[in-house]
Amino acid sequence: MISIQNVSYSYNGHIPALHSVSVEIYKGEFVAIIGGNGSGKSTLLRHINGLLLPSAGSVTIKGMDTKDISSVFNIRQIAGMVFQDPGSQFIGMTVGEDIAFGPENLGLPPKEIRRRVESSLSAVGMAGYNDHTPGKLSGGQKQKVALASVLAMEPEVILFDEVTSMLDPDSRMDILSLIKQLHENGTTVVYVTHCLDELVHADRLIIMEKGHITHDGDPRLLISRGDVMNSGLGLPPIMELSRRLLNAGFFEPGCFPLSREELRDVLCQLK
Amino acid sequence: MNDLFFSFIPGDSILHRLDPRTKILGLMLASMFILKVSSFTGMSLLVFVFLSLVATCKIPLKHFFRSIRPMLIFFSLIFFMQLFFTEGQVIFQYRIISASHEGLVLGTVLTLRFVFLLLFAVLLTSTTSPSKITAGIERLLRPLPLRYAGISSHDLAMMMSLSLYFVPLLYDSFKVLRDSQLSRGLDVKKSPLRAIFSLSVPLVSTSLRAVEDVSLAMESRCYRGSGRTSVHSIGYGPMDHIAIIIYLFLLFYYIVF
Ligand SMILES: Nc1ncnc2c1ncn2[C@@H]1O[C@H](COP(=O)(O)OP(=O)(O)OP(=O)(O)O)[C@@H](O)[C@H]1O
Ligand SMILES: [Mg+2]
Repeated sequence: MISIQNVSYSYNGHIPALHSVSVEIYKGEFVAIIGGNGSGKSTLLRHINGLLLPSAGSVTIKGMDTKDISSVFNIRQIAGMVFQDPGSQFIGMTVGEDIAFGPENLGLPPKEIRRRVESSLSAVGMAGYNDHTPGKLSGGQKQKVALASVLAMEPEVILFDEVTSMLDPDSRMDILSLIKQLHENGTTVVYVTHCLDELVHADRLIIMEKGHITHDGDPRLLISRGDVMNSGLGLPPIMELSRRLLNAGFFEPGCFPLSREELRDVLCQLK
Repeated sequence: MNDLFFSFIPGDSILHRLDPRTKILGLMLASMFILKVSSFTGMSLLVFVFLSLVATCKIPLKHFFRSIRPMLIFFSLIFFMQLFFTEGQVIFQYRIISASHEGLVLGTVLTLRFVFLLLFAVLLTSTTSPSKITAGIERLLRPLPLRYAGISSHDLAMMMSLSLYFVPLLYDSFKVLRDSQLSRGLDVKKSPLRAIFSLSVPLVSTSLRAVEDVSLAMESRCYRGSGRTSVHSIGYGPMDHIAIIIYLFLLFYYIVF
């Protein structure tokens, strides 16, 4: 679905932010990308929907090259992006208008636009917020609206760039379960984070470091092997506990628990 | 802050349902008359028109007064300038300051004109959602040969609505910056010049970042200058036709008299 081939990129003259990165992302996957600050996660993500063009190498989505001006429009419709800062990604004065912005650009008829605004608002559980001012919503609500405005374009892939980093734990769980639901309904998800707790739903983990992809594989395997810790990211307490239990031989690496619930289930089965 | 600039109040009155283009043209026509009248009868007529429009759209008068409030300083400045700096028959004297009868009349008329302009503009913005105004402006601009200037009517309307959008955003970041500088011991009274610098430099850089963020968000949602549609299916109805006919009569009257 998404094919990234030997992509290098540097922001005007600085040290390269990406060094010859190659990765394939398949339809229906939930890929999480983690890495420290400045490791190139956002840069990589912005290549996928053509916001950035590779200095070398190529990015193709469903066979369309992002360098091809004529297909950029289609690419951005297929791959939507939700940004980190809830405050600065709104374009409309009201929630309804903001969500309508994407469909308006697609040139859809007014009736269809209104239908999409309604359905995407209710998909994120914010039906009835049409006339609210985006600036006055809470952080979590803002991110839900931002997600709704991407959903209104009916994308096949959604790119998330640290969308929960400015949210409180409750809103974070809300957004995460929305994303999980989208994935279950067939949307391909690429999820950038530097929070390891959020990997529970991912079926693939990519670890980035200084513009390189250092690891790519099953999140449970990568974490249980300790590859994550070598990349300078500390493990959350639950995973640290799981790792110690694993090392003490309590369970197999394949069923390495990533959350409190999973750990509880695994431990209960031991008896 | 948002309330101040975009005081749109959703509703279902005749004014709400009129096509945005009709309302924008109406506002232009009203402004022409406002800038022309100086007689008491003319002013009363404007008040009458304004009040009847307000009555039809069921928005409390309070709302309109609230939108005048932030401009009060400006209005009184105009009034007193005229009052004290117009030559004529003196009606009040204190040392070198003197107010003239002509100044009083001129000041009143000028101030009232500004107040009327604002009130009619608020009438438009409170019965029309910002994006409808944008859509209306875009449609009105469409016949202009803008593409020879390398720009589309969509681009121009988008620019207008974005700049309106940034005003409250800038104000908010200004407040955040001011608070953070105050908490770091900035003394506005003691060193006003330094205060201006320490506020304006970060304000410019944060607003540039905000502009960049919004343009990224727009790009990634497929923004393009042409081929866009609007959620609002705008179109003239019977009420719009009636309004346009009234406009034509008024325009005729304006030109002849
Ligand atoms: N607009 C920019 N101009 C110049 N350099 C940039 C720009 N954005 C990022 N960089 C640089 O590119 C490198 C990779 O940045 P990137 O934003 O992709 O990292 P990241 O993994 O997303 O980090 P974070 O976790 O902080 O979001 C960094 O060294 C950064 O300094
Ligand atoms: Mg980033």
